[in-house]
Amino acid sequence: MFEWLEYEFMIRALAATSVLSFSIAPVGAFLVLRRLALAGEAMAHAIVPGIVIGFVIAGLSVTTMIVGGLGAGITVAVLSSLLARFTIIREDAGLASLYLIALALGIFILSASGSAVPLKSFLFGSILGIDDETLILIGGTAMITLISFALILRPLIASTIDPVFYESQTKRPGLVVQLFMFLVVLNLLGAFKALGTLMAVGLMILPATAARYWVSTLTGYLILTFAFAFASCWFGLIISYYAPNVPSGPAIVLVAGGFFVVSLLLAPQGLGFMRRRTSEPRAAAPATSHPPQSTIPTIKEKTQ
Amino acid sequence: MLSASGPLTLGYRGVPVVRNVSFEVAPGDVLAVVGHNGSGKSTLVKTLLGMLPPIAGAIDWPAGRPATIAYLGQRTEFDTRFPVRLRDLAEMGAWRDLGFTGRIDAAGRARIADAMDRTGTADIADMPIQTLSAGQLQRALFARTIVQDAPLILLDEPFTAVDQATEADLLTLIDDWSAEGRATVLVLHDLSAVLQHCTSALLLGRGTARFGAPQATLTPANLVELGYLSPGQVAWQETMYRNVGPEAAGHSGV
Repeated sequence: MFEWLEYEFMIRALAATSVLSFSIAPVGAFLVLRRLALAGEAMAHAIVPGIVIGFVIAGLSVTTMIVGGLGAGITVAVLSSLLARFTIIREDAGLASLYLIALALGIFILSASGSAVPLKSFLFGSILGIDDETLILIGGTAMITLISFALILRPLIASTIDPVFYESQTKRPGLVVQLFMFLVVLNLLGAFKALGTLMAVGLMILPATAARYWVSTLTGYLILTFAFAFASCWFGLIISYYAPNVPSGPAIVLVAGGFFVVSLLLAPQGLGFMRRRTSEPRAAAPATSHPPQSTIPTIKEKTQ
Repeated sequence: MLSASGPLTLGYRGVPVVRNVSFEVAPGDVLAVVGHNGSGKSTLVKTLLGMLPPIAGAIDWPAGRPATIAYLGQRTEFDTRFPVRLRDLAEMGAWRDLGFTGRIDAAGRARIADAMDRTGTADIADMPIQTLSAGQLQRALFARTIVQDAPLILLDEPFTAVDQATEADLLTLIDDWSAEGRATVLVLHDLSAVLQHCTSALLLGRGTARFGAPQATLTPANLVELGYLSPGQVAWQETMYRNVGPEAAGHSGV
């Protein structure tokens, strides 16, 4: 039953994704809290040509992947904010245009160069692909991410809850956001080998959205997001082991999707089939109700 | 403590929104900023916060740039769904002094507890902010402002979403700040509150500004001339003046 533990590639994949869960969870949690979930998705596609060009030039080297990926990510981020500033297109539309071009360009270059890496594992990940360099990349990513979070957690919280207040408190309000987006790209690069470029962002977003249904404190949120990410990686990799034709990326992300659906159905802040929250007396919802709007503060003032 | 040296012209990217702005704020002052939509209130707030340079003139800061301002903005960009408790929100007022990783000491905790007592939020300190009513949230934000312990407090339409009982409680806090020697600048629309609680008024409108004691500045003639009231509303307004006028005059005679 546990024969998959006897294979080194499985142990490598499990170790890599376990460590990755520690750093990808807080990044995903704040992407969701900052309403940047789709921007994260776009960023994941935007870094593809950078990785591909690096790969075509220097083969599967982690260094070129980081340089190419970060270069492409930063280029797209800067260009889309310039588009928003100097043309009529808004930031989301600019970002969408650029990432679509970038993704198509990446796949085009990869196919045209007749590369040795199968497109499927490039897009969707492979449990066979975790080499020593990738392990070091993920370890480094986790270390940089966790240290950065220890330093920027308060500014990140303040700028998310009340951006204008935060702006009034600091001289360079943009710095914390830029550092955060850098961490997003770094974690996407870390996740790329195991999950593929199309699926990497799934491990970032789905555990975070699933966990959001259950918790109302930030600490609980970060812990539960990590737990969902960790469990998704283990179950996903085991599924991928038993179904060799299934790439690891979709397997992991589908498990995360399962956590999301279950949370949506059962959790108090989801559809709440388990038990409804009682912190605020609420007028009885009509029997044919829509989902309870538990997160919208009631207008009625409580007497104090 | 804070003043405009020479008349200011305020605006964005060289396009003026309001000219002839001058004012002076001393410790203990409560300055009301009143004006119609688009009169330059938000422009003034951004300028006071140092986010926007004046087009002409300069602001004299007490101690360099506005490091010492406690700012409470409008609710539009506030994220009420963030998973923190009311207590955490009040604590945010102390974060600036803590650096990256510093912890809140006993004195800081006492200050936070005191701020929640004064705003009537101590009993609901552990509630997630997403479950708070508009009034409770505004009380929590006033607690955060108290925790900031700043000599100059800037409030942008603090009573827009709250009921009258909450507004009355929060206005009492502003009176307390005045007694403690803090200066308050607040943008608001409630003229009777201006007359009762403010020591000076800055009326913005139709591209220009008037500054002075509330009684002398918010006259029916000025309010009509600067586009805050239509002539038809003035009769009603004058009735209100007769009712609250003497009391307000006694109050502001500091």
